[in-house]
Parts: sequence; C-alpha cells; structure tokens
Amino acid sequence: MPGVYFTTTEFLEDAKSAAKDRGMPGIRTLALPADKYYVARANKQEVQAIVEAFFDEMVEALTRPLTPEETKPSQAQQLHESANIKVTGKDFLDASEKVNELFLDNHWADGLPIVPPTPELVKQMEAGTTRSPKEVIGQVAPKNGTATIEKVAINAVMAGAKPEYLPVILAAMEGFLDKHYDLTHVVASTGSFTPVVIVDGPIAKELDFNSGIGMLGHGWRANSTVGRALQLSLLNLGQTWPQVNFMGLTGRLEAYTFYTFAEDTAKSPWEPYNVSQGFQAGESTVTVSSAGNPQIFGGGAVAPWTAQGVIDQIVAQIRNRGVVWPHAQKHIIVLHPDCAVELANKGYTRRSLQEYLYEQTRVPFEKLAKGVSFGEGSEEDFIRASIADGRIRPDRAQIFLDNLKPGGWIPVVQSPDDFHIVVAGGSPGYDLLFTYPGTNWAHQTKKIDGATLTKAGH
Amino acid sequence: MKRHTNWPLAMALSFGYLCVAGAAAAQVSLEVMNPRGEIPPPKTLGISPRGGNLDGKKIVLIDNGKYGASNFLDALADMLKQKYPAATIVMYPKPAAQTITDLPKWYPTVKQQGDLFVFGVGD
Repeated sequence: MPGVYFTTTEFLEDAKSAAKDRGMPGIRTLALPADKYYVARANKQEVQAIVEAFFDEMVEALTRPLTPEETKPSQAQQLHESANIKVTGKDFLDASEKVNELFLDNHWADGLPIVPPTPELVKQMEAGTTRSPKEVIGQVAPKNGTATIEKVAINAVMAGAKPEYLPVILAAMEGFLDKHYDLTHVVASTGSFTPVVIVDGPIAKELDFNSGIGMLGHGWRANSTVGRALQLSLLNLGQTWPQVNFMGLTGRLEAYTFYTFAEDTAKSPWEPYNVSQGFQAGESTVTVSSAGNPQIFGGGAVAPWTAQGVIDQIVAQIRNRGVVWPHAQKHIIVLHPDCAVELANKGYTRRSLQEYLYEQTRVPFEKLAKGVSFGEGSEEDFIRASIADGRIRPDRAQIFLDNLKPGGWIPVVQSPDDFHIVVAGGSPGYDLLFTYPGTNWAHQTKKIDGATLTKAGH
Repeated sequence: MKRHTNWPLAMALSFGYLCVAGAAAAQVSLEVMNPRGEIPPPKTLGISPRGGNLDGKKIVLIDNGKYGASNFLDALADMLKQKYPAATIVMYPKPAAQTITDLPKWYPTVKQQGDLFVFGVGD
C-alpha cells in the first residue's frame, strides 16, 4: 500500500534508523520543521501553514513512480562485531586513551572513561558465572543485537564491574529481554525513562550493595558498576545513541548507573520484596523496571514526618497526576526503614498497604477528564476502550464497568499488585515514588544463579 | 567482602596484553574486544509501487496518537478535499500508545481502509 510518513526534522535520523531496522529503508518520509511544528500543532489554524508548505511534496511522494533501488533495494548485510581490535600507542596510558577515543567515536561508550575490555579481563569476568560465554540470552531492542554471556561480560569489564557481579548483571539482562518487557520504550522514548534495578536476597550483602543512606548515589562499586554494565550492554547490544535513536529529551537523570540499589531486608518489617513476587525467602533476585524520575516524600533529617503523612502525600501525588490510565500505571514505592517499621507497627502488611493505596488513589467518576490526548475522547471512553481491547485485564474489567457511573470510584491501577513496595534508605530517610505509564510490560524479577565467586546466587 | 577493590589491578592486568611492538619504536599495542552484538540483518523490502494522481483514490490518514497530530491531519484532510474533490478521505487513528504489543495485529487492517496512506506525525 503506497504511503508517506510524516516526522519532524529532529526525528528524521530516528525515522530512517527505524525504517532500516525493520527492513524498509526506502519508505518515503517527510520531515516537518521541528522548531515550527511543535508550537503550531496546538491548533488546526496554526498548523495550516505547515500543511500548505508540505502539501505538494506529500502528493509527489504518494504518486512519483519508484526508482529501481526503491523497488528492489540492496539486501542488508550481516555486520560482524566479533573481531578483536588492536590499538597502538606510545605507552599503555596512550593506548588506553586511544581505546577510549575509539570506543566513544564508534558510539560504544557512555562518555566516561572505560576499562579497556582485553580478552584476559573478559575471561576473568566470565569466570564469575558457570554459564557458557556463547550462550545467547536474547536480542536487544531496538536493533536486535544478540546478547551473549560474552558480550555482556565485555560491557561489564568496560563498566569497571567485578567478576562476582556478573550473575547479577546477567539476571537483570534476562529481565530486560523477557518477552513481556517492552525494552524499546525505555531505550528510545522521548520521556527519558530510566530503569530501576533492585537487588534482593543474600547476594546483596555479600556483594556490598548499598541499601542505606545514599543508596542511589556514588561510592559503592556494586551499585555503580552493575548499573553501568547494564547501561553499556543496552547501549551496545541494542545500538542506541542520543539524537539518533535514543530520543530522551532531557536524557536520563541517572544516565550512567540507572537507579541501582538493594532492598534492606534486614531492617524491613516485611518479607523481602522478591517473596511478594513469588520467589522463596533466601533466594537472590534482581528486579528491573522502567520508571520516570522519582519524587521524594517525608521529612528526612530536617522536618517532622509521620508514616501516615508520607502515605497520604504519595496518595495525593498519584491522584493528582491529572490522568487516569488504569491499564497503564505502575508505581514503585521505596520506603525508608523507619517509615516501613512505623507502618508495620500500625498493622500494615505489605499486602494491606498495597490494598490501602489501591483504595485511596481511586478517583470519583465525576472527576474523569472529558478529553484526553490519545484519540478515544473522554477518559470514560478511554477506559471502556481499554476494557474492550484487553488493556484492562478481563479479570479486573468488571470493577471498572461497575464504577463507570455517577457515584462510582475508578481505580488508577489495575490491581493492588501494581504498587511495588520496597524498603531501602537511611535513618533518617526519605521515601521515593517511581511512576511509569505501563503496568504489565516493563517490570520483571529474575533469580540470580550460576554464581561461582559468591556463596549466594547458585 | 571488602568494598574497595581494585581498579589498579584491573588496569594492571591489561598490561598482560601489551605487546612491545619494537624496542626502537617503543610502542605498545592493546587488544580489546568488540562490545557490540551481532545483528541478524532483516530481509530488505521495497516500497509499494505508485503512480498517477490522487483523483478517485481513497486516502487513509493515520493519526499516530501524538499530541497535535489530529490537528495536522484534519488540516491536511481539508486541503485534500479542496484540491482533490474526487478523492475520499478516511480518518483511521492508530490505537493508543499503550497497546504497543498489539500493533502487529493492527497494521494489516490499514490496507482494508483504502488505496494510499499518510501517517503522522512521528516523534
């Protein structure tokens, strides 16, 4: 079917890249001027001038006969990314600097210095797992580069990780590459979403992951380099680059290490988070989850707080988002230990707190917006469409249908399970809320196994 | 387990792969591994043949759901109707962004809507 695709000048490279990735590099694409379109698009009258300017070009793109190359394009060739590279310098430091320059020029690095991934260092890294270097974990979006144990190990070396971290990194990659994880969104979206990486179980302490004061900050090699190894693995195996096909408008606020931390299971009043996800107590796991940037609640060291007050603030924040996407909200709530203990003392279990949040964040039917931006009309229409096409799970649909009427209360998530409650932070501490517009397709917990250098993770 | 190990060790190990290229030149070579994954190339396809003009054609305008795309396509529809009165315009919005995983089922339905399509506005 003949067609033409409109994009904007800022996204032309992205569009070309995606067309090539999907095997149709010749798709006719017109780029509207970004500096004019994003302002003018707010109403039909203002955008009229841009339509007029591109009309003839569009007609021509729809009707001009194809060139031979457009009819039968050259077949894409396999790019071989397996050969080692030799870099020469006047001494080691010079050679190392040249490796860094080469890698950054090739879009193989993140802008910070890397450890040169020599075969010897990669072999040492691979010794951290029982798994074969040639084992394939999966294909990494958006370009579907093949992730093998060896390729992840190379990126782990570059990140400065230790061999004993490799099983954690591999389990996290398995989460990202799970068929239920929409990796393309988090590695490409304009929203600058960032993975949250949560390590649970005895391996967290054994590897010295920080779960206390400063758990999202610097100073702990495990937190920093496991996150960075994942960032480099996604960058290199999926082949993304800013302004080409990673279009996060601000860039991620945790661009180099993601939000990587451990749950403080020792101070948590509840069972470990991974047990709530179906794992056995004592198992080591890693959870990966796409998220927006966190919001902070509580008083920390400078203001009084109560546990109920923290929860009330979080409820208000979620209810005040201004949109109800019950098929598409997921929240990770990181409570600092004192707050979690206070809540437990009030009688909350993790489950009852999830259910409380589910109840309290519901919005009255009368507050549903009359217009939304996705084309379905009102929020009520949007919710009904979500039920019809399965975005709201069939086993939860009746709850929404029963409440889509005056006096009804509409949940903002599909179920209490969409509130993921984790305990970490200092004493005193703050509490964090990570929100993501996707319930089911960007959250996975995987068991850490195959470890050779730690007591846990077998 | 101690936290502070051991960047100098990692760097020193790299020296194991330094080869003295020649005493006179006093150069060293560093062998490193490629961090990228092999990508199975997709089968490359041509685009659909086209020709003639838009008179009498059924043109499908696909709103990709991004903010403002409907204004752009509405204005485009008006202009198409004005310049090609014999053409038929069909508005056929793409399903909401949150149904990404179902889109492979949706794309084939576009062909049933008309003869040509215009898709926008991508970001």
